[in-house]
Amino acid sequence: MFLQYKFLIIMRAIWFAAQVAFFGLIASRMVVPSLADIYFEYYIAGVVVMMLYSASVFIGYDIFEEAEHGVFEYLLSLPVSRKELVLGRSIGGGIRSFILVGPIIAIALVVIGLVNPLNFLLAFSTLFLFAFGVSGMSITIAVALKSSDRFDILMGVLNALIIRLSTTMYPQAFVQDASLAYATISKFNPVTFASDLFRWGVGIERYLTMTPMPLAAIIGLVIFFFTFTLVGVTIYEKRLEGGGWQ
Amino acid sequence: MKAILHIIEYDFRNFFRYKWWLAGLISMNLADLLIMAVVYNRMVSPEIAELSLTSYFNFFAPGVTVIGLFASAFMIGREVNMEVRRQIHHYMLSLPITRLELAVGRLLAGGLRGMMYTSPLLLTTFIFLGFPSFPQFLGILGALFLLATGISGLSIATAVSTTSFEKFVTARGLVYYVLFFCSSIFYPLSLIQTLGQEGIMPQPIVMLAELNPLSNGADLIRSFLLGNPTFTLNMIRNIVVFSIVFATSATVAYMKIIEIR
Repeated sequence: MFLQYKFLIIMRAIWFAAQVAFFGLIASRMVVPSLADIYFEYYIAGVVVMMLYSASVFIGYDIFEEAEHGVFEYLLSLPVSRKELVLGRSIGGGIRSFILVGPIIAIALVVIGLVNPLNFLLAFSTLFLFAFGVSGMSITIAVALKSSDRFDILMGVLNALIIRLSTTMYPQAFVQDASLAYATISKFNPVTFASDLFRWGVGIERYLTMTPMPLAAIIGLVIFFFTFTLVGVTIYEKRLEGGGWQ
Repeated sequence: MKAILHIIEYDFRNFFRYKWWLAGLISMNLADLLIMAVVYNRMVSPEIAELSLTSYFNFFAPGVTVIGLFASAFMIGREVNMEVRRQIHHYMLSLPITRLELAVGRLLAGGLRGMMYTSPLLLTTFIFLGFPSFPQFLGILGALFLLATGISGLSIATAVSTTSFEKFVTARGLVYYVLFFCSSIFYPLSLIQTLGQEGIMPQPIVMLAELNPLSNGADLIRSFLLGNPTFTLNMIRNIVVFSIVFATSATVAYMKIIEIR
């Protein structure tokens, strides 16, 4: 289903190219010397996680599409339990976002380089939990709101806040300097866990937020995944019965 | 003239239908300013000449005003594209309004909507950076209106030239990202020029950044409010040329293409 969105894929690719070739390159000349030598690679790793996040969110839009075209009824008629259905959606949403982001990750690896393949494999595998968790969160919000317009707006605002209040674009030390409130949110933000883990995996270990790595980030992502998968399963299950999604 | 006002009114009514979408967009712009720019304040090097005299927040505030103007003025294209796809333009063509009035009305409405949307962002910029003198204020408003009309023209020309919504959205994405990132919205123009001199950034890209109307719009506000970069007539010239080129091409394209379809 995701491959139908070929224009979305093209747009995301353009966005990635612009972020890296313009913003990443130019901003790396703008930052303080202590950060300047690694900022380009630091930023590329952040962009990869931003893309993974936005691709995983997309499953929520499909929920509305399905409700509009009567696909829900078909899905309910399948010989699978409600829990399996929701878990399948959440995991499917995460896997397909990896299909989209896979080539981007490959490009990022070529640019950044790879210090320790084992670290990268561990980080890469754990990022699946991040993608599943974000898909679960998107499904939860989609079925709770029941309005595609409201969902679209809320996800836009949430995206703006969750990305900016994380370490995707800047290290935690600078967020801390800027505002204690921002730093507190950023420290417990799943996007921060994912960004730190990906950076640890590719060997950008300066300016990591959590210790000990990778354990702290993995625990954070496991909690995020279970919370949103469980909440998503419960709400989705309730909404599915008796035409509650309409 | 009356017919043009009717078209503007029609487009403004449509604009207010997207009030929640607009609220979302403005919150994204404010998140850029109040979160990203505040953190970058701590991150930017004091060695960058343009940023040594002011904070990154102050530098970026005019940039975010121009981003808001661009995004909202570009919205008219989405509506025009939708009208063409759903054949609503047949109704528009049946109205007792000349083709030229219709095209000019759409163009001006797009520009005015952009101005209306960006006014709270511009006010926020004034509150943080200080208010300009009255002639400077008029200069900023005039330049932003020309810029918004040019953007509206670019958006309408893109909308009528693309056959499907997906193609329009993809073209819009390309225009957005190239014009946003290849400009002085996020970083001083001198950084792009330095990368060009070092051979890292291709010269056509450097030239695009220099001529980019978004660079000129943001730098014009900065020159009046921050005193840096120095105001030059080239800023006005680039915005005027952009506005004339895209307003004319959008008017011609809109009149011709909606009649063919």
